[in-house]
Amino acid sequence: MRPRSILLLGAGFTVWAAAFVALYAMLSVGCRFGWHEIALGSLGGVSLQRLQLAAIFLVHLAAGAAVVAVLRRWKDRGFLYTLAYFAAVAALGASVFSFAGIFFLSTCQ
Amino acid sequence: MFRFGAIAAGGLALSACAGPLSALQPEGPAARGIGTLWWVMLAAGTAIFLVVASVLMLAFVRPAWLRRFGEARLILWGGLVVPLVILSGLVTAALALGERVLVVGRGEALRIEAVARQWTWRFRYPGGYETDDLLHLPAGRDVDIVLTSEDVIHGFWVPRLGGKLDAIPGHVNVIRLRADRPGTYGGVCAEYCGIGHAPMRFSVEAHEPDAFARIVGPSDDTRQDTAPDGEGGQ
Repeated sequence: MRPRSILLLGAGFTVWAAAFVALYAMLSVGCRFGWHEIALGSLGGVSLQRLQLAAIFLVHLAAGAAVVAVLRRWKDRGFLYTLAYFAAVAALGASVFSFAGIFFLSTCQ
Repeated sequence: MFRFGAIAAGGLALSACAGPLSALQPEGPAARGIGTLWWVMLAAGTAIFLVVASVLMLAFVRPAWLRRFGEARLILWGGLVVPLVILSGLVTAALALGERVLVVGRGEALRIEAVARQWTWRFRYPGGYETDDLLHLPAGRDVDIVLTSEDVIHGFWVPRLGGKLDAIPGHVNVIRLRADRPGTYGGVCAEYCGIGHAPMRFSVEAHEPDAFARIVGPSDDTRQDTAPDGEGGQ
């Protein structure tokens, strides 16, 4: 399989955008259902709200890492592949920078 | 000389930033924090502009200096490292401030309900007294404004007292305000809500506590409402 698409350039940031939308949507849903008030004793009192946000974040982090791993194997095939690889690495860094707040900021009022 | 002139001109321009809606004249803790962040951003933005302008000038008058520094290094430092450091600092400051301004603590506060509809604000006080487009506050104490809407999304904003929060139909948001001292402040709808959005303004009058009690009538401040869910942040 040798995809030769310009779309590869956006592969990493597509995962970032999906994480952004999923986290934003589920934050509101969780607040609405009061998940931030459900403390999970088995996890040291972490709220259900923070747990689900962390799960969404980690799933997307794994997906972003997979994109990086795949593009890394192809990065010597030409300029497009090299560029796509570095863009995916930047997207992975941007994901950590943008979404780390779910671990320590207040989830709801 | 030019720089001095620019700073003087900027100072003159900013001195006009006064009035009932001026976020640069904060009269409460939340607005003061927001004002401080604004000044920090202004200073950082000015510094970045001056550095970029200086490098641009160097490119014309001393191109050899830039060549010696190296293109790759200039892009790495100027385009990646320096912006990352500055943005990290600003993000950290903004998040810390957001926690202080938007997240309503469990502490006891007077609760005033604000119901928005096209194109007016109705405020209801604990004793049942109501006012339209005029919000009375007791100075020097925390007040929770409990926001909701009867039709579309509106935005509640009193620039001199605190941040913005949306009033959303079918949903309750709470914003905590405190006016340091008695005075009259302006408030606006900060979310486009139809043809009457622009004139959808209200006044905020902060009074001494006993004057406030006289105006809004008897109230029991100790009502134990359960805090409704709101969504922090915008």
